[in-house]
Amino acid sequence: MSEVTISRRSVLAGSALLLASTALPTIGWAQTPKKGGRLVVAADSEPRNLNPAIVASNGVFFISSKIVEPLAEASFDGKDGLDPRLATSWEGATDGLSVTFKLREGVKWHDGKPFTSADVAFSALQIWKPLQNLGRTVFKDLEAVDTPDELTAVLKFAKPTPFQLIRNALPALSSVVPKHVYETGKIEENPANNTPVGTGPFKFAEHKPGEYYRLEKNGDYWGKDQPYLDEIIYQVLPDRTSAASALEAEEIQLAAFSAVPLADLDRISKVPGLKVITKGYEALTYQLVVEINHRRKELADLKVRQAIAHAIDKDFVVKTVFLGYAASATGPVPKNDPQFYTADVPTYAFDVAKANALLDEAGYSKGDDGKRFSLKLLPAPYFNETKQFGDYLRQALATIGIDAQLVNNDSAAHIKAVYTDHAFDLAVGPPVFRGDPAISTTILVQSGIPDGVPFSNQGGYKNDELDAVIAKASETLDPAARTELYKEFQKKVVADLPLINVAEWNFISVVRDTVANVANNPRWAVSNWADTWLEA
Amino acid sequence: MSPLRRFLRTPEAVAGAIILVALFAMALTAPLFFPGDPQAIAGPALLPPFQDWSLPLGTDRLGRDVLAALLHGARTSLAVGLAAAAAALAFGAVVGTLAGFAGSLVDEVLMRITDAFQTVPSFLLALAFVSVVGPSLGVVVAAIALGAWTAPARVARAEVLSIRERDFVAGARVIGMHPLEIAFREVLPNALPPVLALSSVIVAAAILTEAALSFLGLGDPNRVTWGGMIAEGRAVLRTAPSLSIIPGVALVLTVLGVYLTGEGVVETAAVRRSLS
Amino acid sequence: MTRALLLLRRRLVGSVFVLLIVVIGTFLLLEAAPGDAVDAYIVSTGGDAGMIELLRHRWGLDQSALTRLATYLWALLHLDLGQSVTFSRPIRDVILERLPNTLLLMGSATALSFGLGSALGIYAGARPGSFRDRLLSIGSLALYAVPGFWLGLVLIIVFAVDLRWFPIGGIESIASGRTGLDRAADIARHLVLPVSALGFIYLALYLRMMRAGMAEVWRQDFVLAARAKGLSRRRIVLAHVARNALLPLVTMLGLQSAQMLGGSVVIESVFSVPGLGRLAQEAVAARDTPLLLGIILVSAVLVIVINLLVDIAYAFLDPRVGASEAGA
Repeated sequence: MSEVTISRRSVLAGSALLLASTALPTIGWAQTPKKGGRLVVAADSEPRNLNPAIVASNGVFFISSKIVEPLAEASFDGKDGLDPRLATSWEGATDGLSVTFKLREGVKWHDGKPFTSADVAFSALQIWKPLQNLGRTVFKDLEAVDTPDELTAVLKFAKPTPFQLIRNALPALSSVVPKHVYETGKIEENPANNTPVGTGPFKFAEHKPGEYYRLEKNGDYWGKDQPYLDEIIYQVLPDRTSAASALEAEEIQLAAFSAVPLADLDRISKVPGLKVITKGYEALTYQLVVEINHRRKELADLKVRQAIAHAIDKDFVVKTVFLGYAASATGPVPKNDPQFYTADVPTYAFDVAKANALLDEAGYSKGDDGKRFSLKLLPAPYFNETKQFGDYLRQALATIGIDAQLVNNDSAAHIKAVYTDHAFDLAVGPPVFRGDPAISTTILVQSGIPDGVPFSNQGGYKNDELDAVIAKASETLDPAARTELYKEFQKKVVADLPLINVAEWNFISVVRDTVANVANNPRWAVSNWADTWLEA
Repeated sequence: MSPLRRFLRTPEAVAGAIILVALFAMALTAPLFFPGDPQAIAGPALLPPFQDWSLPLGTDRLGRDVLAALLHGARTSLAVGLAAAAAALAFGAVVGTLAGFAGSLVDEVLMRITDAFQTVPSFLLALAFVSVVGPSLGVVVAAIALGAWTAPARVARAEVLSIRERDFVAGARVIGMHPLEIAFREVLPNALPPVLALSSVIVAAAILTEAALSFLGLGDPNRVTWGGMIAEGRAVLRTAPSLSIIPGVALVLTVLGVYLTGEGVVETAAVRRSLS
Repeated sequence: MTRALLLLRRRLVGSVFVLLIVVIGTFLLLEAAPGDAVDAYIVSTGGDAGMIELLRHRWGLDQSALTRLATYLWALLHLDLGQSVTFSRPIRDVILERLPNTLLLMGSATALSFGLGSALGIYAGARPGSFRDRLLSIGSLALYAVPGFWLGLVLIIVFAVDLRWFPIGGIESIASGRTGLDRAADIARHLVLPVSALGFIYLALYLRMMRAGMAEVWRQDFVLAARAKGLSRRRIVLAHVARNALLPLVTMLGLQSAQMLGGSVVIESVFSVPGLGRLAQEAVAARDTPLLLGIILVSAVLVIVINLLVDIAYAFLDPRVGASEAGA
């Protein structure tokens, strides 16, 4: 086993890891967490802003969730799917106008000052509501935050806001930052945005641009005996083949967010000492979606959209593009969502003959060259899989006589072309499902969104019935009734196909088997890692 | 000794020529052997080479035929190389001739622009240009030419400077030819040989630049190129090394072929010149 | 002396024009790009219309292109490279952080390809047409024809993953607390693979040039004279032939300096080296116009300075300077 093999590298590195192993010579086989050690993790990008209260995105959370904590974290078995963090309890009023949080006692900021309800009030009113990318929607009706005592914060809303939504939003949207650091000067320009101060198990130590981030243990953390690790290093590895090499060379111990290409997983799972883990991303499901520009007259015809849906072999996509690390999608809510998913929707089996028949029916017969019409297809460049699916979709469309020309843009150009200029016919997008349709999938189909809003309905689709369901769900307080409305929403979307949901996938981690307590919650990669530890 | 025989006497040049002929044969016959879309899905994904004789070189990540892609890739890679070189040489020769022939202010301005292009790394320029305009084959060609025209321009200018004082140019002036006509009908053709000598270097560099752009995700997804195949194959370098080795070998052979032939031709021409 | 100063002044005035063309050209190119810095930023965050407007305003992107160009040029006049919109830090700091790494990488790679290339070129050119001559020049050409990123990946797999002789990337060990010589050795160990990948590509260039140059020199009178005098072959090769064939290589060195930065874009990304090439690529992707302008300006100044140095070196190596020996 690895605890007895001292590798050449760890001898050379002479790291804290080795020191720890000599200091604690008895290594129990039982799961007694060991203290100490440095965890080195692959990072593929360097977020420009590390404040998770302003930028609620996985790239930022990956690093800053260890430093700045939310009120509650996602959990496999906790009540409401949540685990308490800075809040110990939460309760919504029946009129939907307030939510009361009881806060944890004895929590200190990394600079030693005590954490109080004033910090929550400040974060909510000054940051989440006006500045946060997602909070601007969820907290739009937040009016005030009452702080009757140091450990109670009451969020007050001007209009009834479903408690279910607030609850679902807590892990991603409720990062609390210290009021005393942010109250002077402009929040967006505060230096702490790049050197965050929080209450989490790790403190920000340094960032060497282009090289690494270093976090060090917070000795004053509120969790008993936690954290176990001394240090976390995020090593910047920009090329997508580096993470696998670095793992094999034992230079890093963890590559999260599918940093190891899917096609390499089978091989790397056989490398001694490395494990491929598919858990720990359940609350971060990505959806593979064909976005449709309904301004194109052919695509405004439901029959054509149905034909395209019938032409896509979802099983092939799952098996070949995702190598099995995905599931085929039935509709706009992923199958692994515990609250809202319904399978009771229309289906579109892979059937090329039927697709051709539908197109003939719609009046687009094949020309002499076998082509019916041409389309511009823009696969999003951010993932390898979206590009590969673009290649596949072009071939799939060719079999039904639609000639698709691929347009390969970089990220900025893609965002501009699709969401501002609408210069596309079909696009392939990877929207994230954030545990509640109100903060994820509805925005892709509802109308009335101004031009330029990314990852939203910019295909010119308008369906009054669907808009009405979405509007009603956003103000329905009863969770059961709200869930029902979203089930109806799924049915309507799949029936009318404003977009086509093809597959949904979760990321994969590859980790050295000396790392313990990996993937123990549904947002593990972006949670605080207070209980993660290293066998020597 | 005739130039052809001299050429045939250098084994490198002959080897280069054979490679090039084979390459052109591949490029020209690709549509005969593989009439359909080379990007069509032809079989199971990641089939290793020499397993199934209907797909002799195996398939890639999506199940596309590697042999079909290789043959069609020869077309695009050659087209990119030749088109970029032609554009760079033509543009460079014109700029160089104008600068050298006009002299003074025009020369100064054109040469400062040439300097500017030469100070910016040509790959960085290509990268920025393709990101900005969007990757399609034409844009990639233009981007490569944009970074490659300066050397031909400088060589052309130097040649023109030495030619423009010669008798036949003076003669053309005397009979009242328009300066531009003199520049392009009398001077440019004579300045051309050393400029053309650069073509093999530019063709080779263009093919490699296209590969590097594909590596950074800036290839044309509607066409198969060898660079694109290598770039895509690198994600499975350990599991399916043939996917990047096969087009890689083709690329190396092509660049070698272009270089050696080019050198053979230049040397043959040089000997002939020094003899005459 | 005054002539040299005059030449220098002319060069400097010319350089200012060159830099101005570079700046305006780059600015216009990025201005024509689809999507701006905000579009590039919201890829990873999303956000609503209000937030996007807020960002455009904060980053000054709601002003006209002409205003921004004028502001930039005015600041540049005061030697201020401005603020990076995406890093929210002064561009000078961002560039200075990476410049040493790039200089180290490019300098070592140039030294490798120039040193080894010309040495092998001399070795090959000493016996033109021999087997070793052909083998070396074709072998180096084959290296030149391998795409740099692919060569890099193979080097990583062989020497970093399988043999574990060298680290897979980076510029030095992370937070190791090394100082002095220890640190220098650590950095050197990290540089071996990227320098090899970058240097081997350009090896062919110097090798073939050296060889071709030597073939040319062999035919010249003074070499024939030296041979007639019965000097040893080794002496002739090193003192006469190679020395004279070195001149065009030095010129090449100046011309190549700009190209190496381009080649390092790919190598820096494969080997995770935090250098200017990768930064430039990131600046293009992030549509960070002032940052890209800064990088291109710095590299242009670098190229101009290197070429000046090359000219000085040329003066030392010029055969007319050493005419007495050549004519002996």
